[in-house]
Amino acid sequence: MGNKKPESKEVEQYKQFEKNFETKRPLFKNCLKAFLVGGFICMIGQAITYFYIYFFSFTEQTAGNPTVATMVFISMLLTGFGVYDRLGQFAGAGSAVPVTGFGNAVISAAIEHRTEGFVLGVGGNLFKLAGSVVLFGVFSAFVVALIKTILIKLGAI
Amino acid sequence: MKKSHTLTLITALTALLTSCNSDATQHSGMSLIQKSDPDPIILDEKTEKDHKLVASIKKDVAKFDELYDVAVIKGEEEILVAYKVKHMQRFHMVKIEGEINKMLEEKYPKENFIVSSDYKIFLEAVELNDKMKNPDFSEEDAKKNLEEIIKLKKELT
Repeated sequence: MGNKKPESKEVEQYKQFEKNFETKRPLFKNCLKAFLVGGFICMIGQAITYFYIYFFSFTEQTAGNPTVATMVFISMLLTGFGVYDRLGQFAGAGSAVPVTGFGNAVISAAIEHRTEGFVLGVGGNLFKLAGSVVLFGVFSAFVVALIKTILIKLGAI
Repeated sequence: MKKSHTLTLITALTALLTSCNSDATQHSGMSLIQKSDPDPIILDEKTEKDHKLVASIKKDVAKFDELYDVAVIKGEEEILVAYKVKHMQRFHMVKIEGEINKMLEEKYPKENFIVSSDYKIFLEAVELNDKMKNPDFSEEDAKKNLEEIIKLKKELT
């Protein structure tokens, strides 16, 4: 990996030339958009948490589960209606990083492969994007739980 | 057409999030947003000693700078202490709970405490306080209500 061949003069020149025509990414503006939209999604999530705390017998500790389910469900509906895609174009990571991005990933894959049939198309590709989220989520939870268990056994916590 | 869709969606969401408000009273309804400072409740024999005890517990817990609202309910066997933690101090919630528990155990060794920083528990305590102002609400109902609150506190999932 480290033994990269030094690039020739022509390649260097071409890269310099290409740089002049490259569209500059508005990094700050993108970050700001992602921050605002992501924050807004989280604010809705917080409102839903309070809704469950107020009107159902969920505590702060337990209200997280139905909140996540509701947020994912709403984003699935919005993806089906074609609203979430536009939000994704505008906000980028701001709409993909919150848990709503998971619902979007599932449903957009289902819509994309609908023409291939329900079993091989929708069923086979539903978790094409979201599968990695599930896999690494479960794996990291396992690692964290393992570390915690070891620390508890050692008496550190 | 599109505008009217958006408007309908916003109206529906607002209606959903603000509905079902008939059960909660005005006082408890606002207790998550603002300081409600409920009076301590005694569900057992209301002796002068008990009154002094709950007042003293409330005063001692309220002394913690990290808190801003304390509710105390004395049942037959247990005393429930619910409090709200200042927003920026919520990172130290576990530490604060430990400190309060330690202080209460040292100062009132004969009593059995249940300490909670959960909004729901606080909300239920304020609601119970409101309900007790109603003459139709019997002491038995109040005791049952407290048992439910304690059960809710112990619930983890």
